[in-house]
Amino acid sequence: MRKLILLVVFFTIAIMTIISACGDENSIKYQRYYADGSQLYKVHCGNCHMDDGKGLAALIPPLTDTTYLRKNREKLACFIVYGLNDTIVVNNIEYQGQMLAEKHLAAIDLAKVLTYITNSYGNQQGIYDVTEVEAYLRNCN
Amino acid sequence: MKNLSFLISLLALIIFSSCNSNSKKLPILGSREPIEKVIDGKTVIDTIYQTIPNFSFINQDSVIINQDSLNNSIYVADFFFTSCPSICPIMSKNMLGIYEKYKGNKEVRFLSHSIDPKHDTVPKLKQYATKLGVMDTQWSFLYGDRDSIYNMAKDGYMSYAKENANIPGGYEHSGYFILVDKEKRIRGAYDGTDKNQVEQLSKDMDILLAEYKATK
Repeated sequence: MRKLILLVVFFTIAIMTIISACGDENSIKYQRYYADGSQLYKVHCGNCHMDDGKGLAALIPPLTDTTYLRKNREKLACFIVYGLNDTIVVNNIEYQGQMLAEKHLAAIDLAKVLTYITNSYGNQQGIYDVTEVEAYLRNCN
Repeated sequence: MKNLSFLISLLALIIFSSCNSNSKKLPILGSREPIEKVIDGKTVIDTIYQTIPNFSFINQDSVIINQDSLNNSIYVADFFFTSCPSICPIMSKNMLGIYEKYKGNKEVRFLSHSIDPKHDTVPKLKQYATKLGVMDTQWSFLYGDRDSIYNMAKDGYMSYAKENANIPGGYEHSGYFILVDKEKRIRGAYDGTDKNQVEQLSKDMDILLAEYKATK
């Protein structure tokens, strides 16, 4: 009997929690991605792209070019994992430097850090889901 | 050994900087040696301070930079390489801030030594400087053979630089900005990746420049 009561109480609490969270489940997920992403950014990106995302003169591109990020949304995960050795144009400036590969980053970490980047520094592009990243990663050149 | 001398210099820095608050002079860092001199028949004790040894490197405009090129200037020295993925970009950014503050001031120079002469050729250094927005040689990016640069780091600036295949980029080096006065003595060492310390460098450079104004 006691077990049953405990079970019922447990399930009631669980269901209530789920219901109350349901309304902004996406926003909670987004916030978790964003918060974790900001930490990942500091460790893996901030050294070069700087804490303010402004990069370094004409050597390291800023992350403030929303159009570029939007246009290349499908390639961003590949850029991080395999690095970049191309000439790219960001904010009308040509960048030729090499970006090193970060092969050790898991898809979920890529999703988090990309969510952070595409929603900071003047960008506002919503969540970058892990399933989206996984799909893009399969199509890297 | 390198760690020891580094620690000692750091300790010296801390001790001196704590006295520094009420005097308007920067400490003189490094080892020192008392010598006895005879002046007017009297024996007096004078001090010989550690100075930067002579060097000769080539800058981004293929001009030789040595002690003579730095006469009558204080300067800030650091070690970097252009393809460095770790601390260099932030150091370059911080150095750029200081460079812009003293741009055109003939009493202030900047020397960034490349520790990767294999890849950082003179044209590569020129390209790096240009892209950073450095058009003149007030800030010189220096090319020299590996051993002279590494020895300069160790013996001259109490820093270190060496190859290390295990870290990203392949080289490791200290991230210190070393402030050198017109007499080639080290007057300060600042973590080039730390905003507060870089700000301190900027203040200390003003103090050092004022020392020379006062003695003029």
